[in-house]
Amino acid sequence: MNYFFQLVISGIVVGSIYALSGLGFVLIYKSSRVLNIAHGQIIAAGAFITYALTVWVDIPIYISFPMSMVLTFFLAMSVERVFLRRLIGEPIISVIMVTIGLMSILDGLIYLTPFGSENFSFPPFLPTTPISVAGVSVSWTQMVGVVITFTLIGAFSWFFKKSTVGISMRAVSDDQMASMSIGISVPRVFGLAWATAGLSAAAAGGIIGNITGLNFETLHAFGIIVFPVVILGGLDSILGAVVAGIIMGLVQQFASGYLDGNWGLSGTGEVMPYIILLVILLFKPHGLFGIHEIERV
Amino acid sequence: MSSNRWLATGNYFTSYKEEQRIFFTSLDRAAMSLLLLCLFIWPFFIVVDNKYMLVIDNILVAVIAVMGLNLVTGFAGLISIGHAAFVGIGAYTIASFARVLGDSHALLTHAWPLLILIAGFMGAVFGAIVGLPALRLKHLYLAIATLSFQMIFQWTINFMNFFNQGQTISVGRVVWLTGQVSRSQHYIFWYYAILVVIVFCGFAVRNLLRTRYGRCLVAVRDNDRAADAMGMHPGFTKVYAFALAGFLAGVAGALHAYLYRGVGIESFTLHHSISFLAMAIVGGLGTLPGSFLGPLAIKVLDLQVERLSEWAGAHLTFATNLATALRPLSFGLVIVLFLMFEPRGIANWWRIARSYVKLWPFRY
Repeated sequence: MNYFFQLVISGIVVGSIYALSGLGFVLIYKSSRVLNIAHGQIIAAGAFITYALTVWVDIPIYISFPMSMVLTFFLAMSVERVFLRRLIGEPIISVIMVTIGLMSILDGLIYLTPFGSENFSFPPFLPTTPISVAGVSVSWTQMVGVVITFTLIGAFSWFFKKSTVGISMRAVSDDQMASMSIGISVPRVFGLAWATAGLSAAAAGGIIGNITGLNFETLHAFGIIVFPVVILGGLDSILGAVVAGIIMGLVQQFASGYLDGNWGLSGTGEVMPYIILLVILLFKPHGLFGIHEIERV
Repeated sequence: MSSNRWLATGNYFTSYKEEQRIFFTSLDRAAMSLLLLCLFIWPFFIVVDNKYMLVIDNILVAVIAVMGLNLVTGFAGLISIGHAAFVGIGAYTIASFARVLGDSHALLTHAWPLLILIAGFMGAVFGAIVGLPALRLKHLYLAIATLSFQMIFQWTINFMNFFNQGQTISVGRVVWLTGQVSRSQHYIFWYYAILVVIVFCGFAVRNLLRTRYGRCLVAVRDNDRAADAMGMHPGFTKVYAFALAGFLAGVAGALHAYLYRGVGIESFTLHHSISFLAMAIVGGLGTLPGSFLGPLAIKVLDLQVERLSEWAGAHLTFATNLATALRPLSFGLVIVLFLMFEPRGIANWWRIARSYVKLWPFRY
């Protein structure tokens, strides 16, 4: 039973990070209908900026973490400005392919830095002895990571529900023409959506970096696993991204905890999300919380 | 013949049949024949180093794969981010035969044209299965479905003992009329074999695009509701677009397996899917010449990038990562720049050059 709870704990930890990265993805999709394939690279960039600030520039992590979020905010904003702004109005297929190209470019840029090939781990800044309750242990980093994640998710939800910018984002996602007519600058909202997504991606990257260490391959995988998460939750639902993120984390942990090693299976945690993704696409393509306006052919 | 001379000044076709001919003018036909002739006889006059012959063979294999990708992404308008996985299906079909029968079994070495066909059909079956969500969904979701197929494929190969866990599975030397193809003739032999396959596939695709099935693809891409109203079945059309793409990819994969005399997962990863997409985009989506020009351009670029990073590795000490970095960087830049500034690809330059020559000395 302890094993089960241990899996639940680590599932929730991983899942909350998925939720945070899925959130950014959904933000972009919701406002501009762009499927951002380069999301994993932005997460990685955020993580690496956090590391560089913390270790190389030697800034304490509680300052460097927000700093990297701000830097990634501007990075994502400029990415939108340079690459995607001029594609507004182009067919959706070319916009998606631009994000694929973007993924390659960011890959190349990251390979140019030492982060592309080497592994790094953050210096521990929290007590390293895990908290142990009734035989189930949680490390401090995981605890703090989950707390930060949920605080951020709460903050983002508030931002969408109450703040003027958040309301204008929702308006744009509802109807671009109507929101233009009441004076919302749609391109600016697109830029802000990317920037906010960058912000959340940097946070997710920083937390992953602290929990598992920095490895480009792992961060890459985090970016691709966003797809099953957002499809399960519904592409345009923020609540969906959060719930599905946690479900996906649990599924992964249970799969690798219970299936690996039996029947000659290994690495099932890596593939399970994609199998779920294909099944969901076949039977319930709008996901758990998505709007039921899938266009059928 | 008499109408041909006016083709440059407008559309003077009087029947649909006339409009759908493969060659509009006899000059076109002559040029195509000459091109084919050149492609077939140049190895007799120019001796090419094995290293470069491999590059040329690689380009030809990529041409077949990109023709498939162009059918599904260019003509039917469905993004496929898992094309390398379909190519991998073809290659691993050959590898499975090698695994079960032993790598130099007579079936593998003598009946290779049959096996290439079988690999194509396997690719088609998997293409149709992955395309099944197309019965209900539009492109966004399909892109994700193909991506997840790519991930599942990689996992299956990497974790199954039958597939040697992604390590190389060797495939024996094939036998031709003159006996076993030796090491020195290997690349030149496969140059001809692949060229013949390309000629078949090229004409098949060109012909497909003239028939109702091919024009269905374009109609569904442009407006699926209108296509539905005209009596086509958009969902079915999309599924068979995937199946066709899978077939061509499977054939390409089988040829790749025979060319390298082995199959390993490292040739069928997500990066390769992206580079196939880059080839299709650079060549020009939705054009047949694009499927030929794209792989050529990208592979030549690739060769130059490799040379550059070799040079840099030798001269600059900090450039150890440069080789791994330059390739994705150049691919990404090429994709993005082409999409932003020349979305119709190199095929468009080709078209412009052709019409310039045709109309010379007049501007228009």
